Amino acid sequence: MSMDLSVPETWRVKGALYRLEAARCKACGRIHYPPMPACPYCGSRDLERVTLPSEGVLESYTVVYAVPEGSRHKAPVLLGLVRLGRVRVVAEITDADPSELRTGMEVEAVLRRIRSDREAGIIRYGVMFRPKLKGGSRGG
Amino acid sequence: MEVYITGVGLTKVGRHFDLGLRELAARAALEALDSARVDKVDAVIVSSTLSYREAGQFDLAGHLAGALGLKGAQTFAVEAGDASGLAAVEAACSLIRAGSAGRVLVVGVDKLTDYVSSRVYRDLQRLYEAEVQALYDIGHAGVAGLLARLYMERFGVSRDTLSYWPAMDHSHAKHNPYAMLPFAIDPAAVPKALKVAEPLTLLDSFPLGDGAAALVLESEPHGDARAKVVLATSAAGYPSFTMNEDPLAPESVGEVAARLREVTGIAPVDVDVIELGDTFTSIGLILAESLGLSEPGRAAVDAMEGRFTLGGDGPVVNPSGGLKARGHPVGATGVYMVGELALQVSGEYPGLKVDGARRGLAVIASGDGSSAHLVLVEGVA
Repeated sequence: MSMDLSVPETWRVKGALYRLEAARCKACGRIHYPPMPACPYCGSRDLERVTLPSEGVLESYTVVYAVPEGSRHKAPVLLGLVRLGRVRVVAEITDADPSELRTGMEVEAVLRRIRSDREAGIIRYGVMFRPKLKGGSRGG
Repeated sequence: MEVYITGVGLTKVGRHFDLGLRELAARAALEALDSARVDKVDAVIVSSTLSYREAGQFDLAGHLAGALGLKGAQTFAVEAGDASGLAAVEAACSLIRAGSAGRVLVVGVDKLTDYVSSRVYRDLQRLYEAEVQALYDIGHAGVAGLLARLYMERFGVSRDTLSYWPAMDHSHAKHNPYAMLPFAIDPAAVPKALKVAEPLTLLDSFPLGDGAAALVLESEPHGDARAKVVLATSAAGYPSFTMNEDPLAPESVGEVAARLREVTGIAPVDVDVIELGDTFTSIGLILAESLGLSEPGRAAVDAMEGRFTLGGDGPVVNPSGGLKARGHPVGATGVYMVGELALQVSGEYPGLKVDGARRGLAVIASGDGSSAHLVLVEGVA
């Protein structure tokens, strides 16, 4: 089924979605993701781009069964609230069985396919998180 | 300048396969005009969130004014996600208080059943930040599921205790002729229902339904006024639930509660009846606690102990059945709430009636929690 994924949109978001680009506020020091024109905490526009760490901690997670059209084959979708340093990110969790997820567990970023548009051929990739590999025992 | 609610029109929330978007909206609008005993208005404000994606109609307010024979009216559309209906009421009050219009028809309408639910979930997930976050398959319930687990773990509240919140909504809805799901549920059934976003199930989630509600707001009471709007306000631009320092205490909701205190000298807990935008159980608990109706971690326990129902020691919360059981036709919901509260404070409410209610409060946070909307109505008798 065509998802009508936008080519320019997919291109525009590559910094945030591929590289975890965020913005640090030079006024209050807070970091926010995705980067916006002004700091959502203090309103300052004096910002600089930073890249978030690729390893973090799972603060919460959910197993989504009410999966949107175009991605039903992925059901259930694992979703995590991941703390990367001082920032929280909401992103999909991959390479994990729901039963092994625990709050507080260490996770690491990997680039994965989020969705594809069969007719137009667009494939959208983005950062997902997987349980942190210990000693490289799992395939990536 | 005072703003009076002179007309209320409510349709039953449900699957209106026989009615198009405009017909459904017109049904509520005509009922509101008739109940106000007027047939002309200065302005029409339409509140609809999903309609342009679901029904494909631009300039819905203009088309609706035409369908209702309201020649010459100013028309506007207001969209503020889950809170659109309250934003529309706020806009109408602003027009009236500024002297730009003497009589405004507010119509909230959305249809969520014309397409399969998975398509509607795709559209609903755009209530979250849509440039990055909603590019993932988070669905309409993903963030609410994340917040539910955070809530349970932080406060040591069990899944079984959470279930008393939707059970409260349903026990109220069984009296409401406009509710989509007018029946009681056993709290023990909630965890066993179809999973939506663990730990939340279908019985923690608003049903997909169609609905329309309408109000006539006027600067003059002309003898038929049900209520007046004391305060209609909103606060946007705060960090979302997940970006906020404490995801379970959105600053936006704290801000509108503070404004209520500043303007009226009362706190949410002082009103008689409250309608909350509890899209999901976790959101209902967060709203109740952020408004100070319960101590942090206590809202589900308070619901279990009957604090928010008739005879409890708190305000009656969601006598309509809330979003869980009255339903949440997204853009219409805030208009339902204000209409229901107007009927509560005028003693005309056809459902679970809060006897002697004088003040009614409606609060909705946007889907990601970054903004909050609040309307306070008061009886005029």
